[in-house]
Amino acid sequence: MASTTAAAGEPFQFPEMYNFPPFFTRQPNESTWKEQRRQWCDLVLAFYRHNRLYSMSLAEAVTEPPFANRQLRRALRVDVLREVVDELVKQGNAVWAGAKGTKDICLVFWRKPEVWATMIHQWASERGLFNTVLTVFELANGDDTAGQEFHGLDAATLRRALDVLQSQGKAQLFAGASDEDLGVKLFA
Amino acid sequence: MKSSLEDFVRIHQREIRSDPVFRVQVQRMCQLLGVDPLASRKGYMAELLGVGDFYCELGIQIIDICVGTRSVNGGLIEMDELRRRLIERRLKGSEPVVEDDIKRAISQLKPLKSGYRIVDFGNRRMVQSVAREMNSDFSTVLTLAQYTNKFTREDIRLAWNWDQDRIHACINDMLCLGIIWVDEPDFEEPEYWVPAFFHAN
Repeated sequence: MASTTAAAGEPFQFPEMYNFPPFFTRQPNESTWKEQRRQWCDLVLAFYRHNRLYSMSLAEAVTEPPFANRQLRRALRVDVLREVVDELVKQGNAVWAGAKGTKDICLVFWRKPEVWATMIHQWASERGLFNTVLTVFELANGDDTAGQEFHGLDAATLRRALDVLQSQGKAQLFAGASDEDLGVKLFA
Repeated sequence: MKSSLEDFVRIHQREIRSDPVFRVQVQRMCQLLGVDPLASRKGYMAELLGVGDFYCELGIQIIDICVGTRSVNGGLIEMDELRRRLIERRLKGSEPVVEDDIKRAISQLKPLKSGYRIVDFGNRRMVQSVAREMNSDFSTVLTLAQYTNKFTREDIRLAWNWDQDRIHACINDMLCLGIIWVDEPDFEEPEYWVPAFFHAN
């Protein structure tokens, strides 16, 4: 599986198991299930990385690849996907989003917030943008960040990266009128 | 006779290592003459043939692949698949591997008592890597899956008229061992698939 983000338009290479019908049924035997769950975790991260996806609504996700295979007419059940995401959360590769205690929406970290944080900090350093107030919208979508790995990052994941920087004393966040108006000042 | 065989092997040592067909031919010749080149690790023929290390290395690679895929296939891997994986992982330019080599390497693993052996289910030749007697019901059921990679309870009943308890016990045991995986889409009869038989391409 590709370890870096693929060029746009390049089709995702599904693993062999994606064409194995029982892959979509939770296996009753515990050790087989552990292996199956591991393969699903790998597939989620690879697919989300390839397509630069950041969040998942479980109910919607099971109607689309990689959780559904139309050719086989097979799809993972939501409760099984929930178990897969629980495992990703345990590994630190996802967090449950949405209302407290619910498990319907999650953020998928094919790159951890700490890594995004480092990239953003590095960029600000190179551009001499320390101690300047930037909007979060600019960071993700502005012309200045075009071509950066974090360009196009979704608001929720970006916010987590900035939280990391803030906790390290490398950023200060300023509330705006809306989420997109959120401002941030970065420090060396 | 032995000494002329020795001379022959010495002269052709390089071809023996690089050409699997020739290697098999020389080994057959040794067998015909009652000489087993792999009889002992320090066997003079093994040294001459330069094959001792070759099979030792191959054996280790076979173990590695079998152990690495066990959680998916329950310790059963198809011979062709094993060979494909061996070739893939061996360094480019290393000696090609044929089925005969795999057989020899596996027979060399016997002293380890790890249960590595070759088993046939109908037209499917498999390498089994877990020490257990293959329950004869398992073998029968696997034979049923040899062409389609899968079977249903009804397939078993139609083929051998087993009662439900026997079918249930057999399927349960095979699921527990990881030899089969269940495919259970909504509102359809479950199908049981043999991962060791399944290759996407």
